[in-house]
Amino acid sequence: MMDAGRHPNIDVLTNAELIRLGGFPGNFRATVKKHPRYVDESLCTGCGLCVEDCPVVVHNEFEVGMGARKAIYSPFAQAVPNTHIIDRENCLNGDFLVCTNCMNACDRNAINYDDPGEELQLDVGAVVVATGFDVYDASAIPSYGYGLYDNVLTNMEFERVLNATGPTHGHIVRPSDRRVPKRIAFVQCVGSRGEGKEAGCEYCSRFCCMNAIKDCLLVKQHEPSIEELIVFYIDMRAAGKGFEEFYQRSREMPELRYVRGRPAKIFEDPASKDLLIAVEDGETGEVGRVRADMVVLSTGAVAAGSNAGLAGVLGIDCDENGFFKVETRYGSPLHTAREGIYICGCAAGVNDISDSVAQGSGAASEAEKYVVKLPAPEEPEEKPIIDSSGPPRVGIFLCHCGINIAGVLDIDSLKAYAEGLPDVVYVENNLFLCADDGQRLIQEKIVEHGLNRVVAAACTPRTHEPIFRESCEQIGLNPYLFEMVNVRDQCSWVHTNVPRIATEKAKDLIKMGVARARILQPLYRQSIPVKQSVLVVGGGVAGMSAALNLDAQGIKVYLIEKKGRLGGKLNNLARVYPANLSAFELSRTMVEMVGSSRVEAMASTEIASITGYIGNFDVSTTNGNFKVGSIVLATGGDIYAPGDEFEYGRYENVITNQELEDILYQSKGTVEIGGDVTGTVAFIQCVGSRDPGKNPACSRFCCPTTIKQAIRLRESGVNVVVLHRDMRTVGARAEEHYRHARELGVRFVRYTPERPPHVAGDGTRARRLEIRELALGRTLEIDVDHVVLAAGMVPNETSTARLQDILKVPRGADGFFMELHSKLGPVETTTEGVFVAGCVSGPKDIADSIAQGAAAAAKAAAIVTHETVPIEPTTCTVQEDLCRACGKCVEICDFHAPAIVEVSPGVHVARINQALCKGCGTCASWCPTGAIVSLHFTDEQINSMMDALLAG
Amino acid sequence: MAGKTEDKKKRKAGSGSTAGPKKKPSAKKAAAKKRTASRKKDFTPNIVVFACNWCSYAGADNAGVNRIQYSPNFRVIRTMCSGRVTPAFVLKAFKLGADGVMVSGCHFGDCHYIFGNYKAVEQFEKTKALVKTLGLDEKRVALEWVSAAEGTRWGEVIDNFVAQVTSLGPSPLNHSKKKRT
Repeated sequence: MMDAGRHPNIDVLTNAELIRLGGFPGNFRATVKKHPRYVDESLCTGCGLCVEDCPVVVHNEFEVGMGARKAIYSPFAQAVPNTHIIDRENCLNGDFLVCTNCMNACDRNAINYDDPGEELQLDVGAVVVATGFDVYDASAIPSYGYGLYDNVLTNMEFERVLNATGPTHGHIVRPSDRRVPKRIAFVQCVGSRGEGKEAGCEYCSRFCCMNAIKDCLLVKQHEPSIEELIVFYIDMRAAGKGFEEFYQRSREMPELRYVRGRPAKIFEDPASKDLLIAVEDGETGEVGRVRADMVVLSTGAVAAGSNAGLAGVLGIDCDENGFFKVETRYGSPLHTAREGIYICGCAAGVNDISDSVAQGSGAASEAEKYVVKLPAPEEPEEKPIIDSSGPPRVGIFLCHCGINIAGVLDIDSLKAYAEGLPDVVYVENNLFLCADDGQRLIQEKIVEHGLNRVVAAACTPRTHEPIFRESCEQIGLNPYLFEMVNVRDQCSWVHTNVPRIATEKAKDLIKMGVARARILQPLYRQSIPVKQSVLVVGGGVAGMSAALNLDAQGIKVYLIEKKGRLGGKLNNLARVYPANLSAFELSRTMVEMVGSSRVEAMASTEIASITGYIGNFDVSTTNGNFKVGSIVLATGGDIYAPGDEFEYGRYENVITNQELEDILYQSKGTVEIGGDVTGTVAFIQCVGSRDPGKNPACSRFCCPTTIKQAIRLRESGVNVVVLHRDMRTVGARAEEHYRHARELGVRFVRYTPERPPHVAGDGTRARRLEIRELALGRTLEIDVDHVVLAAGMVPNETSTARLQDILKVPRGADGFFMELHSKLGPVETTTEGVFVAGCVSGPKDIADSIAQGAAAAAKAAAIVTHETVPIEPTTCTVQEDLCRACGKCVEICDFHAPAIVEVSPGVHVARINQALCKGCGTCASWCPTGAIVSLHFTDEQINSMMDALLAG
Repeated sequence: MAGKTEDKKKRKAGSGSTAGPKKKPSAKKAAAKKRTASRKKDFTPNIVVFACNWCSYAGADNAGVNRIQYSPNFRVIRTMCSGRVTPAFVLKAFKLGADGVMVSGCHFGDCHYIFGNYKAVEQFEKTKALVKTLGLDEKRVALEWVSAAEGTRWGEVIDNFVAQVTSLGPSPLNHSKKKRT
């Protein structure tokens, strides 16, 4: 939010609504109604004086009604813009009462009770719809007692309870008596996966399972004394990268019990206000009542109430659930029926955070086709420059981070301590330093106190240093004179139980930070020219999607594919759900689009080497060499090849679902498997997935794939049995297809990993499946004609390892490429200028791969649409008078940055190419004469920290 | 000095009771045991940890995000790469009275700078030799690999190293500590 709020090319219009959209793609005219805020955004500083004087106290919507706010308020702590707003419905300044407290309190005369609002006309090229979802109203299910019983909360309410900035400051108490609950029950699928209209929506809301697991872990962390956590669930849908591993980790928690069953009714014990949950345990068949102190309903997502109105304005349709309708012609989840209008996140159906982020970037990429390239953000004409050559004047800013830091560390004691450190002239603390007002505070104090070094004791420099540096730079202080001390991620969060010791540690860390800050030197960024082309590696759906998006933006693209033709795994599929497209048609359409574009597609081509850096990669392939500015990796994954599991390889009629897909691909009308058209086909799920020995991850797409194949088989008269652990039909329409399969008569039998199904047969054919049915408590024998193994996905070991080797993109424990951030950076990597899309970073379905391809295109384009890219000045340089040209640095550097040059006849020294230097500092460590200086990490700076810590 | 004599007394008391006949498991023995235990417990080592920006420092942040609780008895100095840590840094830490020094980088193959961690190994071998030459126990230095995703492992690595250094007691070069006890 902060980033968007301060970006020079982004205007944030809050409290605003789109009321008309005319024109055509590339030239829309949007009419936006800005609702009155009654507070002038240009004047309000968010100081909060008005709030203190406001006499009206009402429920706070952000706290889901559990907290209070005034009639003039800031919606939440880190709101952008940080401007207050008056809730005129509750305000006492009206026709009969004339309260003007806030107006009187405001020093800047920002209050205007007669604010009429504003209507804006905007000329835009494209529209992206990202209006999100509404939370299901749990009171619609009376049997769960939400709204009747005090101690029944929704997951949204519970999130606020757990939140350090929430109404209880992160203390877990139950509403009826403010007591810490000992037993908390979570009820899953409230309003989701419903049977019949009154039970909510038919689809799966996808994120509630992970949300409940996370909440359980957080509860245990906040309240180690918790006695029992019970999760009532139907299927545990931990389907996403790293989710299954997280779920299995939670199962090791002794307090946490998973019960498979959907509660029928919740009763309240009127005396104790405890709750009794009537439920049948799906595994034992026992019917009972479970007592809990508190119940959390995992309410799902429903379409935003505003969708219908907005759809009318945009001229697009909503589906039967009220979500915006996606145009599925290209398999992409980003298109609407109206060209130039794109969609992302939960506006078109339920998505989790990382998929929403990827779709957001993807929609931006699609939209860019219609946008005239903006000039680079203009530099402010005259920048003040603060002279830092004099004696250091250090300012220290301590962040509370809500109570993330201040709840553990003793801020007053830190402040007093910091004031006594050498050269410290100013110390201040603030609730959220990273928020607008926190940043402004730093800027003001720099000017007011003539600070020339700034230390922030807050979270981690890995995420927040850029924000602070930018603020320093804006006010004229060289950004490299800023030092960040990590007292949250590496102190208050990890030494929560020993606040006194943690405070002492924080003092040491601040002392070290100040010592280093005092001798920091200003550094100046340079920029290097960029090659305005992109390399896409891999010609599957993700790669083609990236290439087509880049091409549509007018960027030169090289698309290389190892195999003889484009299409990737799409070439092996029959039909693509949810839209039931022909895979052949989809593949052909995309390949043709690539063919008719300016994309330089090269099949049967492999990478020989890639050297260089962001903006300037030299690519050498078996089909020629070229230069690119950024790279998209979309080499996909491999389908797991079963070993001898379930007698695969022994019996000819045990096949994988990939092999079945081939059969379905070739079948017209009725399906023929080895001559049979009838009989029984049994699917076994999670083959090579969710197996701690082999692959602990869930491959995510196998459940929907099985459903798709089961429906196809059932429709041609085959009996189908699916043996599964949890049916994880997440994703667009997957749950509806699952329901349809059941209605068609596909039978589903659950198995546990402890007692997997046994395949029995004779000669070359499997004849029978034996499976322990949990609820019946006995072994079922099913005669089968075919067994289909739902094989998951594993990384493509050779290509992934090779690319890792060439580009230094790290891989996770699962062998897939690691994203920069699992939620917020799903297509970025730690290597600048290199992006990932599709299954190369973990199993994904086709729609998600296409969205990621578009997202990676947006990121890659953001680099190559600029003439230059700035390079970090934290490199190494040589003090030439100390260098004796021994060549050790040349030998040690893997980036070929140093070289020995003859500066005058007979005099040789090492020089380091700043564009090639990555700033690791290894050469500085090895230089025998100490001639090499690792800028920003100099020997003096590191030694000063040790001196402060140990000698001070 | 006072600390030294006290230490000796404790040791004497401890050995005396164990050598004695077994008839009194006695309060004396228990008290002595308690004292030795408390001496070890009282000693909180000064440990400096050099963590590379991309893996280990990120791993430490990951431990925070996952709220993993581990020993606070160390202070991190961030470097861009473990290869940046010259033996001189480690020796300086000991000279200033550190009881232990750890260098932590990326797993092999994960290094953001390709082979920086391999170079860290070479540097660390030199460091270890120098530390031994100084008469220090080589267990006072450690080289570890923690990835950005291994928050749990970071906590374990720190806990183990802190326990290891604590069991060695104060560094012979740690003059300040002796005065303090």
